[in-house]
Amino acid sequence: MDVSQYLEIFIDESAEHIQTLSDCIMTLESEPDNKDTINEVFRAAHSLKGMAGTMGFKRMQHLTHDMENVFQEVRSDKIAVDSEMIDLLFKCLDAIDAYLSNIKATSDEGTEDNELIIKALNDFIAKANGEQPAESAPVAEASAETAEAEASENGDNRKYLQIEMNDHERKTVLAARESGQHIYGMTILIQKECLLKAARAFLVFRAVEEFGQILVYRPSSQDIEDEKFELDFSFYIASSEALDKIQTAAKNVSEIEDVLGEELTDFGASTEAEEEPVKEETKPVVADVKPEAAPKTAEQKAQAPVKKAAGKPATNRTVRVDIEKLDELMNQVSELIIAKNSLTSISATDGGSFNSQTFHEQIEYLERITTNLHESVMKTRMVPIESVVNKFPRMIRDLSRTLNKKMELVMTGEDTELDRTVVDQIGDPLQHLLRNSADHGLEDTALRAERGKSETGHIFLNAYQEGNNVIIQVGDDGNGIDTDAVKQKAIERGIITAEQAEGMTQKEIVNLLFLPSFSMAKKITDISGRGVGLDVVKSGIEQLGGDVEVRTKLGEGTTFTVRLPLTLAIIQALMVEVRDEKYAISLSSISNIESIPVTDIKYVQAKEVIHLRGSVIPLVRLDQVLDMEPMEKDPENLTVVIVKRGDSQIGLVVDNLIGQQEIVIKSLGKYINGNKLISGATILGDGEVALILDTNTLM
Amino acid sequence: MTEYITDSTEKETKQYIVVQIGSEKYGIDIGYIDTIVRMSKITRVPKAQVYFPGIINLRGEVVPVMSIRTKMGLESDVYTNATRIIILKIEDRGMLGVIVDAVCEVVTLATDEVEPNNVHSNHTKDNFINGIGKNGDQLISLLEINAIIEEKDNA
Repeated sequence: MDVSQYLEIFIDESAEHIQTLSDCIMTLESEPDNKDTINEVFRAAHSLKGMAGTMGFKRMQHLTHDMENVFQEVRSDKIAVDSEMIDLLFKCLDAIDAYLSNIKATSDEGTEDNELIIKALNDFIAKANGEQPAESAPVAEASAETAEAEASENGDNRKYLQIEMNDHERKTVLAARESGQHIYGMTILIQKECLLKAARAFLVFRAVEEFGQILVYRPSSQDIEDEKFELDFSFYIASSEALDKIQTAAKNVSEIEDVLGEELTDFGASTEAEEEPVKEETKPVVADVKPEAAPKTAEQKAQAPVKKAAGKPATNRTVRVDIEKLDELMNQVSELIIAKNSLTSISATDGGSFNSQTFHEQIEYLERITTNLHESVMKTRMVPIESVVNKFPRMIRDLSRTLNKKMELVMTGEDTELDRTVVDQIGDPLQHLLRNSADHGLEDTALRAERGKSETGHIFLNAYQEGNNVIIQVGDDGNGIDTDAVKQKAIERGIITAEQAEGMTQKEIVNLLFLPSFSMAKKITDISGRGVGLDVVKSGIEQLGGDVEVRTKLGEGTTFTVRLPLTLAIIQALMVEVRDEKYAISLSSISNIESIPVTDIKYVQAKEVIHLRGSVIPLVRLDQVLDMEPMEKDPENLTVVIVKRGDSQIGLVVDNLIGQQEIVIKSLGKYINGNKLISGATILGDGEVALILDTNTLM
Repeated sequence: MTEYITDSTEKETKQYIVVQIGSEKYGIDIGYIDTIVRMSKITRVPKAQVYFPGIINLRGEVVPVMSIRTKMGLESDVYTNATRIIILKIEDRGMLGVIVDAVCEVVTLATDEVEPNNVHSNHTKDNFINGIGKNGDQLISLLEINAIIEEKDNA
């Protein structure tokens, strides 16, 4: 079957299932008895297995299958969840994730079998099988117990011991036994390379049926015929011949790895009443190990509605849309806005020449529609940051292990929405900040105790929307940044001179951390401190049009505040004029606009500043920055646009204000470079091109 | 058209657009050309490379425009009624406008009518040429597109 067309869906859905698994396993770690979660985990693992199987990714299927078995055991209370198991399950998830990345890159799952993990998983199940009967069924017959013990020693291969019979089957078995025949349980293991498993099974059956009659098949004979089994199948056979004869006959079939079998005696009519129910009780799970038919499906079906009632509300109804289609839609909306702007400008200039009243009304109407349309299209591109941040609890847990520090991550605002492109790229910087907090921020457990802090370090990630921005704060209640140490290091590395260091504010010192290759780690660790550090975070965030700020207090903790624009494509901007050129300044960065008499300009260190309502604001002459001829004589009053970034402000001197406008951001392309000051261009209503100033670079 | 096809079965041909830059004629491989537009208002981009006078609005798209004369080290452009902007479309890097003094004609040159550029001199502009085409008795310098878009620090 050609399944390539489903590949994308497969990848998306698998990623979702892996995330669900990861979340649930995290929950399980803290509440091992949460039935809902266990059920959810089981379901996710099951779907994953099914999907991998359908797509023909055998290794992935195999791994998920074994993982599902473990969940199955947990679900039926045969294994308790412990941290060893959680670790193993996370390892599994990583392995599955690796398969998935391989599939994403090459449409092939790769060749890693992850045998170690599979073995470890099977060990878990084996352990459960070995211990369980001893604990919960002490009345069970001795021979059954020995058989169980052997089974576990043999690594669970004797699946014939796990066959659970229905009434009809039990009757036939007992009848055969009463007629004086031996009942043998057998499990046939087929070689991995075997291509025609069903055919081999058929040959085996034909061989053994010369000696007797097969009474019970697992999986069912139909399933075996349809090749619906893994690498082994089991059956009970009634025969008057010796077991080894039958075994030899079965082994003579080619491509058979091994034949396991023994005579089963525990069907004795006298013990039946006692023993069978026990078997029923302890075994159902194990019977499910095989992709076996009816009982399991029924069981699952029965469980599904229960879960829905108890679990979270059903997920939102969604349609997957190719991001390119959205981009296209966005472009069309952009065009529409440009067209609308040009109508607006015509109406403004030609105001009197034709009946302006209705014209204006229509324009306003159009404006309202386009703005709404723009908003809706933008919203379709918005996704909650959840998809990025929900892998962090797991990461912090792992870090807690590797660093041997107790820590806890508290996240709020995971449902805050951001443009898809931003969300896709914000993961790495955030991850870096969190690792930073875990590694450098939090003190050792001992030191925390000494300082009278709680033993468990707290790391937090808060996301919320503020105007046209989304703020993500990442911080810890750890040591804080030792500014003196930073200063020292910076001087050592020749980044600043000792004299410069003297005059620096706390904030300026902290900002040194963002310089390339300035790493504070005293020793290089796995987690951070390879010399690529905060500068990468900063440039990553700036690429998205955002910025990052640090607040720190020695001994109390550090908080990084990441500010990101809601969307990248269309912004509200203030249009200004400098000489005869037009520039756009993003409205979100503007705090206010002032008219300042030239006489009010003061000088601090030969730089122009203004003193405004208690704060000193440096002035930037845009004409100078933009390489224009200075004016011969200043006008009496300067128009100053005051822009802010975090706490700092500067005043931009412009010649004229044009007004507020919605602008569509266009890139300058890859040819023109060396230009951080201009972040893009936009096309105005009259077809003219205006440049967009990135005021952050002026700070 | 039929003629062209019979032609091409015999020998490989390429079409070039012949443009005037300064006193010389240059051929640009038609495969790279998206469109040719009249001179339109160029918006200056501060701090850009000197040979980028700015950007234009090409039907709603922002396209950077290069002055090939400046890049070749010739005297700066004089915009006339004949001035055109050749819009090149280069994979991976997007569109780029190149200002030329005039567009003359389209010629079809067979591979054997093109001679590799053997004239080595110290003139910067020679680096932009990858061959000389012979169209009758007319000689056309064929522009190397990659050399045009390459960064040059000393240009």
